[in-house]
Amino acid sequence: MPDAPLVAMHGIEKRFGPVQALSGVDLDLHAGEIHALLGENGAGKTTLMNILYGLHQPDAGTIAIGGREQALRNPQDAIAAGIGMVHQHFMLVPTLTVAENMVLGERGAPMLRRGELRAVERRLVELGERYGLEVDPRARVWQLSVGEQQRVEILRALFRDARILILDEPTATLTPVETERLFPKLQGLARGGAAVVFITHHLDDVLRWADRITVLRHGEPAGSPTPSETSAEQLARLMVGRDVTLMRVAAGRRSLGEDGGGRRDAAPVLEVHGLCADGDRGTPALEDVAFCVRGGEIVAVAGVEGNGQAELEEVLMGLRRPGAGTIALDGQDITGADPRERLRRGLGLVPSDRYRRGVIRELSVADNLVLDRIDRPPYGTLLRVDRRAIRERARGLVERYSIRVGDPGQPAATLSGGNAQRVVLARMLTGELRCLIAAQPTRGLDVGAIEFVWEQLAAAREAGMAILLISTELDEVMSMADRCCVLYRGRVVATWERDQLDRERVGLAMGGSGPEPMVATAPEGA
Amino acid sequence: MDWSAIFGGSGLTVLFSSAILLAMPTALAALGETVAERAGVLNLGLEGMMLSGAMGAFLGAYYTDSPVVGALCGVTVGVLVGALMAFLSVTLKTEQVINGIAIVLFAQGITAFLFEKLFGGSEQPTIPDIPDLKIPLLGDIPGVGKVLFDQNALLYASGVIAVGVWLLLMRTRFGLSIRAVGESPQAADAAAVNVSRIRWRALLICGGMAGLGGTVLVIGNLNLFQPNVTAGRGWVAIALVIFGRWNPLLVFGGTFLFGFTDALQVQVRAVSGGTSTDVPYELFQALPYLITLAVLVIATVFARRSAQPSALGIPFRKEASR
Amino acid sequence: MTSATSVIAAPAGRLGLNRRRLATVGAPTGAVVLALLLGAGLIVAAGGDPLSAYSALLDGAFGNPLAFGEVLAQATPLVIIGLGLALAFRGGVWNIGAEGQLFVGALTGGAVAVELPVSSGPVLIAAALVGGIIGGAVWGLIVGVLRARWGVNEVITSLLLTYIGILLFQWAVRQPLRDPAATNGLSGQAMPHAALLPDLPGVSVHIGVLFALVLVPVVAWLMGRTPFGFRLRMLGLNADAAQTAGVPAGRMAIRLMVISGGLAGLAGIVQTLGVSDRLDPNLSVGTGFTAIVVALIGRCNAIGVLLAGLLVATLQAGGQAMSVTESLPYSIVLAIEGVFVVFLLIADRLARR
Repeated sequence: MPDAPLVAMHGIEKRFGPVQALSGVDLDLHAGEIHALLGENGAGKTTLMNILYGLHQPDAGTIAIGGREQALRNPQDAIAAGIGMVHQHFMLVPTLTVAENMVLGERGAPMLRRGELRAVERRLVELGERYGLEVDPRARVWQLSVGEQQRVEILRALFRDARILILDEPTATLTPVETERLFPKLQGLARGGAAVVFITHHLDDVLRWADRITVLRHGEPAGSPTPSETSAEQLARLMVGRDVTLMRVAAGRRSLGEDGGGRRDAAPVLEVHGLCADGDRGTPALEDVAFCVRGGEIVAVAGVEGNGQAELEEVLMGLRRPGAGTIALDGQDITGADPRERLRRGLGLVPSDRYRRGVIRELSVADNLVLDRIDRPPYGTLLRVDRRAIRERARGLVERYSIRVGDPGQPAATLSGGNAQRVVLARMLTGELRCLIAAQPTRGLDVGAIEFVWEQLAAAREAGMAILLISTELDEVMSMADRCCVLYRGRVVATWERDQLDRERVGLAMGGSGPEPMVATAPEGA
Repeated sequence: MDWSAIFGGSGLTVLFSSAILLAMPTALAALGETVAERAGVLNLGLEGMMLSGAMGAFLGAYYTDSPVVGALCGVTVGVLVGALMAFLSVTLKTEQVINGIAIVLFAQGITAFLFEKLFGGSEQPTIPDIPDLKIPLLGDIPGVGKVLFDQNALLYASGVIAVGVWLLLMRTRFGLSIRAVGESPQAADAAAVNVSRIRWRALLICGGMAGLGGTVLVIGNLNLFQPNVTAGRGWVAIALVIFGRWNPLLVFGGTFLFGFTDALQVQVRAVSGGTSTDVPYELFQALPYLITLAVLVIATVFARRSAQPSALGIPFRKEASR
Repeated sequence: MTSATSVIAAPAGRLGLNRRRLATVGAPTGAVVLALLLGAGLIVAAGGDPLSAYSALLDGAFGNPLAFGEVLAQATPLVIIGLGLALAFRGGVWNIGAEGQLFVGALTGGAVAVELPVSSGPVLIAAALVGGIIGGAVWGLIVGVLRARWGVNEVITSLLLTYIGILLFQWAVRQPLRDPAATNGLSGQAMPHAALLPDLPGVSVHIGVLFALVLVPVVAWLMGRTPFGFRLRMLGLNADAAQTAGVPAGRMAIRLMVISGGLAGLAGIVQTLGVSDRLDPNLSVGTGFTAIVVALIGRCNAIGVLLAGLLVATLQAGGQAMSVTESLPYSIVLAIEGVFVVFLLIADRLARR
């Protein structure tokens, strides 16, 4: 690499309460390169980048920008130092326009003149044209697609003259096609003299686009292989610290799937017809959605986040009122039933936001395991809760689902994400359910926990449960689904049986298009 | 009862004229609340802020004989109570609903004590009325002129300040930050906006506006103070913020609906004559609350999409975790 | 609106049990001490001597059986309402309209007592009490339904309905239920003699105090030992998760409004039959609001509400005596109560640090 690095982070340490998030991490970024920061969930990638952006303060270590050591006490310092960050969950204010989002936080005259906003809009159009990041500067952010919002985030960094661009999981919420378009643009930025660093756990993206790689594991540096000399297997080993077994579950499941022929004739358990619902802003989020899940099969609803999955999950569980359509469980209409009635009839949910809907942090793990059955014997009758029965159940389930907790009496807030998900699964899978909706069940989990969740879902499927898997992860869909439909802008745009499932076609459908037009507009940088 | 005394020609002018006078305290407080809620703080202490402001204004005007000093005192006291709310809700991050209720009880207790301590046993103290200021030409327009342009100076100043708050919220950098902080504090924080500072300032403005509302109620309107003189206007103002969908102009307009029913109730009481009348004037007294309740329910039921700031009522914690 | 509440929720996480207990007991105690200190300051400001004022206050509250009876009588409505509010607050339902529910309960219960052609005392009392509970419950029910059905903010509706309820009461005592004997001023009809609550033997306090004492363990048991109480906690801590786990949030909100409204109504009719003996427009000067203080100081815990109710009643009853003997404004008591709550919030937070 030529001359001094643009950014030199050295010996970074960071601790959150009892968790050592980072220890002894070094990172150099050079002008003109795309640098991949690779690691599992919880490996400390985002923490490291948040430190560089001034959102967190390191407990130890130094950061030098352009050769000068600097304290980045807050994002303002980072911005002044020429650092821009594109967060995984976009840090844009949805009710403001694109241009207003640019102005937000900038210093200047107290009055916000129309002329100033117009100038901002013109500059955005200009930047957009130069870097191929066109977006309407007067649009309100909530009206934009996820890909467009990401463009706005990148534009904001450029707008603030960033020379160092951080992207946190930039492809997590993009369709494969959008991903193909993103990286050439980043290369263009790098060629213009910027340093680009992106966080990811997708090995393909790293191998294809990165000039250099840094791998983190459990908050420690695990290696910096050269892209041209490494392989996906080696990267995975560095990430996880052992040989990866992810495909094992999938393979095992697949063979089981091919043997078990019975499910073909099984009766439909969950049937959905013509389902429509509005989102929080009153705009249609689901339109005419229809599908059916039989006992003993996993039907996946694939799609990029923000295409109606959250609303589908809520409508199915009775947490959001549908505008039209019917939902039937075992042939009986449950469209108007409340969540309690649905649970009673055997419909359960593993919610996508496990801390908002799955567990109650302040209650103990034992209590969290009986949230849905506190009024049912042996845990409770109308007038009495049986503490001992609750404790006994907790002891049994903690063991059976290997929930790592010192004492089931501890609050659920002390659980890691994977263990919280185990609590939710344990509660759901012991509920004599007919049908389980698993919404983003592995989001944010590490490899071990992902394996566990997949095994549990596969086992429930073998036991005859109908499972609806709502997922944004293509890998998950490909390895778990017996049938797959794709949700795009609130509509089911495609459905395939397992034997017709094709990774590329699913990926394209997630972007809302059939294969033909997409090939025509395939990006030139590919 | 003589209804024509209320709705007859000149009666109607009086009605509308006093409607504006009676609406203004609520309108100012509601605008302040709009600022606080747009910044993401559900300030249920508004009634307490108004009441404290009213007391401050009364004491200031009573002891100095100057309505200007009174107004300054009223606003200052409101700002101080706003600071208390900000300390609890933004700095300590305790539950905003409880903070608000606590502040109302606090203000009711302290003002009752002060009033009894200073004036207990003596006659109802009053402050001099301030003269109406008739604006030349405009004030001569029949009907409208009397209603809009023949009011006291404080009312005009309040009108100007109300417009100022709208400008502040919608047309300044600070207002942009307020709206961002109430909608998505994380995003605002990432854009280098100091969330706590913005919320603090929003609550100080809210306190000041509520204090001014209390001031307008006491100076140039009632010209006296009693314990609980605000009689729930702060709560009505909060309801009207919801009714006005957090839009300062709609909120401001909505308060005149309240003011009109309030003026009507005052007129009915004046005309009906004493406690032995058959006229159920309590019904008219309840009308402002009933109307507010009705519009609140209607606004909530028929809202096609929620206009409520997304982060309303949720304390912002910066370094949550990773 | 957020649901988890710092004052109510048990502290989450790694805090040890001792630390937690410290926060539960220490914070209110600290707040009480601070508020009393500030009260001393107010007494000095009002030209009194804090020591003699506080001793006059204590003497006025406990100096003789009669005084202590007054404390119990004042504690009764505070505890009855406070228990209902504690339940509601725990479930994340912010009923702050107890004052209105109290007046409506007094009105309906009082109307039953006046109109029912029964001469038997116990029957008349029972009917009036039921009437009072129903009146308050209906006033709460309106709020509950509006929230459950359309999500209308209950803080504001319950408060607006308070003003409406009080005006309804005032109209009733001026018009249909006016005391025909009263020549001037406003006064509602007197309660029939048979309907008045008898005094407990020994102390000069009506039997209504027993209702409060019976309700405390009932509510404690309801909160701590039943599925209903468990669900209440779920809702208060995380309403989304509670709903997903099948807690019918809307129905619970309605139930909580009905219970807390009903108890406020009960307090209203108990005051009418036990203290004022007639439909009195001055039946309550803010008892329903003071009960919020009681519920919050009592940390929304049944025993806590009982203790807080006694504490506040001591302040009020003793304060009345004090204001006479020391010629100090009675509203010092109101100021101390207001300061209480604010200090409680601060102390509570600092204890958790």
